[in-house]
Amino acid sequence: MPENIKGYTGKQLRISLNDKSYKTEKIDTQVLKDYLGGVGYAAKILYEELNKGIDPLSPDNKIIFATGPLTSYRVPGGGSIEICFKSPLTKGWGEARCGGNFGPDMKKAGYDFLIIEDKATEPVYLLIDDNRILFKDASHLLRKTVSEKTRMIREELEDNDISIMCIGIAGENLVNIATVMFEGRAAGRCGGGAVMGSKNLVAVAVKGSGKIVAENPDDYNIALKELRNVVKNSEIAKGFREFGTMGDMAGNDAAGDWPTKNWQANNWGKGEELFDYYSKHNFIKNEMCYKGCPIACGRIASVKEGKFKTPAHDGAEYESLSAFTAFVFNKNMDAAIHSSYLCDEYGIDTISAGAVIAFAMECYENGLISKKYIEGLDLSWGNADLLPVLVEKISKREGIGDILADGVLKAAKKIGKKAEKFAIHCKGLEGPAHDSRSGKALAVTYGTANRGMCHIHPLEGMAYDSGKFDFGMIPYGVPDPNTVDRWDEKGKGKIVKILQDGLIMPDVLGVCKFFMYAGVTLEQYARLLSSFTGWNLEGKDLVRIGERTNNLQRLFNTREGFSKKDDSIPDRAKQRPLFGAYQDEDRCIIKNYEGMLKEYYEARGWDTETGIPTKEKLMELELDE
Amino acid sequence: MKIKVKLYTILKKYSKGKVLEDNTIILHEDTTLQGLSRSLSIPDNIGIIFLVNNSPQGKEFRLSEGEEVKMFSLICGG
Repeated sequence: MPENIKGYTGKQLRISLNDKSYKTEKIDTQVLKDYLGGVGYAAKILYEELNKGIDPLSPDNKIIFATGPLTSYRVPGGGSIEICFKSPLTKGWGEARCGGNFGPDMKKAGYDFLIIEDKATEPVYLLIDDNRILFKDASHLLRKTVSEKTRMIREELEDNDISIMCIGIAGENLVNIATVMFEGRAAGRCGGGAVMGSKNLVAVAVKGSGKIVAENPDDYNIALKELRNVVKNSEIAKGFREFGTMGDMAGNDAAGDWPTKNWQANNWGKGEELFDYYSKHNFIKNEMCYKGCPIACGRIASVKEGKFKTPAHDGAEYESLSAFTAFVFNKNMDAAIHSSYLCDEYGIDTISAGAVIAFAMECYENGLISKKYIEGLDLSWGNADLLPVLVEKISKREGIGDILADGVLKAAKKIGKKAEKFAIHCKGLEGPAHDSRSGKALAVTYGTANRGMCHIHPLEGMAYDSGKFDFGMIPYGVPDPNTVDRWDEKGKGKIVKILQDGLIMPDVLGVCKFFMYAGVTLEQYARLLSSFTGWNLEGKDLVRIGERTNNLQRLFNTREGFSKKDDSIPDRAKQRPLFGAYQDEDRCIIKNYEGMLKEYYEARGWDTETGIPTKEKLMELELDE
Repeated sequence: MKIKVKLYTILKKYSKGKVLEDNTIILHEDTTLQGLSRSLSIPDNIGIIFLVNNSPQGKEFRLSEGEEVKMFSLICGG
């Protein structure tokens, strides 16, 4: 008789779109013990079930909606879902996290994981209501915005509360930077929206009535209370609540952590002014992304009048608004708010959109873009009017938008000449709004993060170097950040390895990463997980599972042909800024990236010539089957 | 000496009762930025970015009469 798994539903739902069939599968307990869930379990499935070299936009790709064992309305930060797939943007490991009710509701419906395969013959959306699974016609939803799709599905199902994740127009058009949206929240990076679009899957709606039972309810409640107290007393949690992620705009600019004008500089000196304008004119109130979040970092914002008039919406985030200000040298916050809003409605990644527009502006400045493509548009730096126009063109693949829709790497190849010099990315994923010239750990995290130059996994590097966050990782070998200079290079490779293995855990456990910023430690998560599952786990066990996950995702990329050459970072992310407060600061220049990378490989137990995990390391992590 | 000081986001609360209404604070001659931080009772384990007259400076930087200091602590959201 199969073991009854506590803390999980113990089931995954496998959907075959081509014949509109499904099956409910029991999950092997040992696999859950080895990978826990989220991006760990999804890496195991995708590594085993996808063949090398498949086209990410073919029916051969799979898309996994993964919860973790702590995904739950009760757990602080437990409103989380991970979407994993082979990325059409990078052709490597793809993942994107989204906050909201979808993850907890999927577990209430009785599923830890949703594995979607093949391609529907016509547009469909999926309804999951406990064990009632329906494939519904979605042809009438095409060409509708994200909020329209969400509203129409809810009206159709006569359920205003049902959780819906859907793609926008961009996903339908297979735009490689397309998102999967939960209302105003995005699983933004790596092009998951295009993968859904390629499968003719427009949306997934989920609701459920189940309850997950803890193995030791009394211990579970004690561990939960401990986590809630950490959050309640955290200055950082208060900061997130009061200012949201936007609260960092002025500070990051000051720290040289604000990539400006397509990374020509790491500081602009406009962060304070832009944040003040946003606070006075755009910000309305804070918002929880899922029911009961004790931090509620979300921001409702609007533009009340003028040509960028924008309704109140959830979406004023540091990354999004930096992408439409500093990246493109735009001083008009109203235009940034409006463009970010349009990205969410059309379903494209705000970071990649801002980055690819900045790239286009620099190509235009250097005469690399033919006039026939730009249809009279003025692609000059800082042209606020251009931003929403290009967001729409990218989403609809119109004119120059068709070239930019597949990200900076592919656009540079199409444009040719010296355009590649202006394409700021790692592994094909556009760089976010943190600059490796502000602290050297960030350089290593950008180069080695499995999904590329993302804004989440490398954040711990920046937070450690400049914010002096230790994340409770000192017991695992990380030096006290107050003893480490942000511009030191020696030691950063090893530090990043340890931080990566610990800080991947929120994405494995199915919780929001900001709670580790607020002070929740791996030991506390281990206690909560042990009481929930009955397993006897400690923080060090989680670090080991984190290491296994990082290595398995690395193996996924290695199988696709990635190697040491793909761990490089753009020259601009290393070189002297062309202007700004750090122009004369020699310490911000990265002098020996190769040395940091070698140190990282050594700490990882990987071949220092190829960057491939060694047999010994794989045996140690039980990945050698 | 008289220094102009401005604190941002989560640091704002440390100005209460210590920074005057005109955003100034009186310090001993040659006080460093770390000394300023301690005089505001900001815990040592909070990472702070300092701008002095809009130029980034390290915590050992010695202040002079009339300088303007901006202090930022990163919440570190992405």
